[in-house]
Amino acid sequence: MNVFSRGVRGAFRNGIRAWAIIGMLGLSIGLALSMLLAHQAVGQRIGSVQSSVGNTITITPAGIRGFAGGGEPLTVDQIAKIKATAHITTTDQVLTDRLNSDGINLQSAIEAGSFGRRQFRMENGGTARSEDPAAPPATFTPPITILGASAPLSADTTASGGKLTLSSGQSFDGTKDAAVALVGTTLAKKNNLQVGATFTAYGTTFTVDGLFNAGNQFANNQVIMPLPTVQRLSNQAGAVTTVTAHLDSSVNLDSTTSALQTALGDKADVSTQADQVKTTLASLQSIQKVSLFSMIGATATASVILLLTMIMIVRERRREIGVLKAIGASNVRVMLQFGAEALTLTILGAVVGMVIGSLGATPVTALLVNNSNSNSTSDTTGRTIRFDAGTSPSLAGGGLRARLEGNGTVRGLRNLQANVDGTIVLYGLLGALVVGSAGSMVAAAFIAKVRPAEVMRAE
Amino acid sequence: MLEVTKLSKQFTSGNTTVTAVKDISLRVEQGKFASIVGRSGSGKSTLLSLLGGLEAPTSGDIVVDKQSLGKLKDHALIKYRCRTIGFVFQGYNLIPNLTAAENVMLPMEFSGRPANERQQRAVQLLKQVGLDHDKQQRKPGRLSGGEQQRVAIARALANKPKLILADEPTGNLDEQTGKMIFDLLHNLSRSENTTIIVVTHDLSIAGRTDQTFRLQDGALVKKQHPGRPGC
Repeated sequence: MNVFSRGVRGAFRNGIRAWAIIGMLGLSIGLALSMLLAHQAVGQRIGSVQSSVGNTITITPAGIRGFAGGGEPLTVDQIAKIKATAHITTTDQVLTDRLNSDGINLQSAIEAGSFGRRQFRMENGGTARSEDPAAPPATFTPPITILGASAPLSADTTASGGKLTLSSGQSFDGTKDAAVALVGTTLAKKNNLQVGATFTAYGTTFTVDGLFNAGNQFANNQVIMPLPTVQRLSNQAGAVTTVTAHLDSSVNLDSTTSALQTALGDKADVSTQADQVKTTLASLQSIQKVSLFSMIGATATASVILLLTMIMIVRERRREIGVLKAIGASNVRVMLQFGAEALTLTILGAVVGMVIGSLGATPVTALLVNNSNSNSTSDTTGRTIRFDAGTSPSLAGGGLRARLEGNGTVRGLRNLQANVDGTIVLYGLLGALVVGSAGSMVAAAFIAKVRPAEVMRAE
Repeated sequence: MLEVTKLSKQFTSGNTTVTAVKDISLRVEQGKFASIVGRSGSGKSTLLSLLGGLEAPTSGDIVVDKQSLGKLKDHALIKYRCRTIGFVFQGYNLIPNLTAAENVMLPMEFSGRPANERQQRAVQLLKQVGLDHDKQQRKPGRLSGGEQQRVAIARALANKPKLILADEPTGNLDEQTGKMIFDLLHNLSRSENTTIIVVTHDLSIAGRTDQTFRLQDGALVKKQHPGRPGC
C-alpha cells in the first residue's frame, strides 16, 4: 500500500459521509457543467446569429413599406451617396412593381382570399367593409410582384428572406436592359411556364431564363427582371425601392449605418438585421452571463464544500497526522495522502457531476432560454416577430422582420441543444482538479502546522 | 547510546513561561531498559518528546547514537524519527482504517523499504509480539487494547530502531495485560539489543528496569538504581 492508495481508502473511512460529500460535490460540479454547456450552446448560437446577420445594410425610401405608405423611391443621387459611403464595397438594387392582369398575362398562384379582396377594395377607392360596392370581380387574383434586380440571385430580391435558389435554367445580368426573367416556381407551375417559355409584361414579351425557389409561397409568386428593364418599362428611370449595401466588415455596421443616416437624412430608412436581432442577442448574452456566473458560483460552491470537508477531516484527524509525523512521515508524504483523499472525493464528485451535467444541460439551457423568450422574440418596438407562410407583413423592403424568422435565426433560438463533447469532459475534469487542488491546499496548510509533539500532548 | 546534557524546555504562552524540563542530564547505555517516573505534569512526556526529536529543546543537548539532535535539520530529524527511534504511545495511536499488518508496514514505507520486505517484516514482527495471521489482518477496532499495544510495539520495531521511547505503554491496560506488554518490551530489549526508555507512573514496572529516572517539576530528582524505585 502506498500513500495514494492509503489516501483513496482514507476518503472512504466514513462511507456515509464520503458519499454525502461526493453527492454534494456532484451536484455542484453538475450544475457548473450544465451552466458551462449552456454557456457554450448560447455562445455558439450568438455566433451563428451574428454570422447570419452578415455585413449588409438595407436602405429603403422613407415612408414606404412595400406598396403601403407613400413617398418617393430612392433616387440616383441618393444611390450615389450610398455608394460613396465609406466601407460600402458593393450595392444590390431592387425596384419593386406590381402588375395586375392588365399588365401581365400571368395568373397569380396565390388565391385572393379575404385579405386580397380587402386590399383590392382599399386600392380601388373603397373601404375595408366587405359589403363595399368596390368589391373585386369573382375572377380577381392578387397582382404579381415584379422585382427589377441588379443582382437577381441575391436573397434580398425575394423580399421575404427565403434563400433563393435556381431550380432550373440560369440567371441573367441584372444591370443590363433585356427582356428576360426569372419566375418563381409556384407562379411558373400555375401558368405552365418552363425555361425558354415566354410571357408578356408591360406590353413586352419576356423569355423565362430560369425558375427559382425562394422557400415560401409569396416569393415564389414573383417575377425577377433586370433592374434597367423594370425602371424603363415602369417609367421610373433611376429609381429603386431597396438598396442592399455590402460592407467590407461587419465590424463597421454601426458606424456605416450612422454615416448613411446622416447622408440620407429623413428621406430614407436605414436598417440592418443587426438592429433587428440586437434585442434577441442582448437576451442571449444575458443568458450567457447568467450561465457564466452560475458556473463560477457552482464551481466556487464545490470548492467551498471540499474546502470545509478537508478542514473538518484534517482537524478531526490531527492526532493521526501527529502520529504519522512522529513515526517518520514527512510533511510532503502526509500532504500527499490527504491530497489523494481530496482528489478521490473530487474525481468521484466530478464523475457524478458529469452525469448530472450531461443529463441536465439541455433542460437547464431550455429553461434559461424559455424564461427569456418573451424578450427575445420581440423587436425593439415590442412587436412580436412572426412569419406565416403565404403572407408577408409587407413587400420588398418591408419583409425584414419576416426575413429573420424566415432564415431561422430567431426561430432557432428556442431550439438550443447543449451537447457534451470531449472538450467539455476535459473542462469538467480540469474544474474538478482545480476544486480538488483548492481542497488539498487547505489540508496541506493545516498539515504543515501540526507538530508531531501534539500527539504526545493529546495522550 | 543516549546522552542528555543540561536539557531544558520552556513553553511560553502570552506573558507566562513554563519550564517543563529543567537542566536535565542523564545517560543510558545501548541495550538498556530505562524508566522515567514522576507525577502527572512533572515533565516526563515532554522529556520523551525531546528525546524523540518531536520538540526542540530551549537549551542543552541530546546525543543519540553519536548524533546531536540539536544539529539536525528538519529533513534529518524526520530521518531520525523514522530510522533511529520507535515510538509506543499510551493510546496505541494506530491508524484505524489500516489493518494491523499495514500499520506495522507504515514506518518501513516511510523509510523506503520495498513492499515485499515490508510485508515479510510486518508478519514476522506481529508473530513475534504474539498476533496470529487472523489478527494481523484485522483493523485496530477489532483488536483488544493489549493486542493494539502489541501492534504498536511491532510498529515501533519495524525499522529496527536503536532506541524505543514508550509513553505509558501500559497506562490503558489492565494489570495482567500491562505486565505482559512490559515483559514483551523487556524481552525485546534483550533479544534485539534495543535501548528502551519507558515513561510510567507504575513504580512496580519502573522497579524492574535497568535504570530509573525520577522527575519532579521538570527536574531530575534522583537517579535510581536497578530494582529500587525508591519512592
